[in-house]
Amino acid sequence: MKVLLISNDAGGYAHHVEAPDNTTVQQMFERHVGAFHADSYLIRVNRQPAAADQVLRDGDRVSFTPQKIEGAA
Amino acid sequence: MQKTNRSNRVLRFSPFALAKLVYLRDIGPTEIGGFGISNADDLLLIEDIQLVRQTCSVTSVEFDDASVADFFDSQVDAGRQPEQFARVWVHTHPGASPSPSQTDEETFSRCFGGVDWAVMHILAEEGNTYTRARFNVGPGTDRRLRCRTILDCEFPGTDHDQWFEEYRDNVTIDDPFASRRSLTDRYDDTDWWQQPPTAADLWSDRLFEVGR
Repeated sequence: MKVLLISNDAGGYAHHVEAPDNTTVQQMFERHVGAFHADSYLIRVNRQPAAADQVLRDGDRVSFTPQKIEGAA
Repeated sequence: MQKTNRSNRVLRFSPFALAKLVYLRDIGPTEIGGFGISNADDLLLIEDIQLVRQTCSVTSVEFDDASVADFFDSQVDAGRQPEQFARVWVHTHPGASPSPSQTDEETFSRCFGGVDWAVMHILAEEGNTYTRARFNVGPGTDRRLRCRTILDCEFPGTDHDQWFEEYRDNVTIDDPFASRRSLTDRYDDTDWWQQPPTAADLWSDRLFEVGR
């Protein structure tokens, strides 16, 4: 199956990637980002927050985006 | 990215981008933050500044996580890659000092430590800037960058109305002296079916006149 992966990690992703059937969100994260540390990211599937064990389906849009971007003087 | 050492040491802003950043810095009483939108062929040339929903005080800015994700979605839908819209983190500081705080450094490491490269740009209220690039490939290194505005490029005209709308729609002011209750709580008592107030809801009509 193909999913649209959006992530800023490494060189950045914003394109369709191949994934085996029944791939979970956690497996996708570990494959493209690394060890699963979900607390550092907002993980969404089709623009909705997703659980680690959610199974992806063909055509899904998956995004890993940074959380708690904050600045202070 | 351009390969010459000279251009790699300078973060350049189009007049449009710089004017918008200065406008957004000055339109309200708080810090603001956003992402620099880079030229597709020259990633150290910033052509626009985009806000996300954020809660700001005089000395802090905190992005809304869902709004950051929405920003990524919208930018991808517009045909951009993350290196064009998510690598240059911009925010302002009050007063004269643009030096990054401990919070700034923690965010730069935590949120931008996994990307090949990223830039932190801080514009202080009095005009001083701090710009630093971090390269996370290989041994990794940090490098201070100069900041310049370039004039020999095509750029759109200013649009204060649109900029003010963007500010109004994204910036919520956290004023610790206004009330001990959250803005949302205060709002819930009266107009619970509407969205929490943004900056414009909380300010006087005089501000709108300034914004125009």
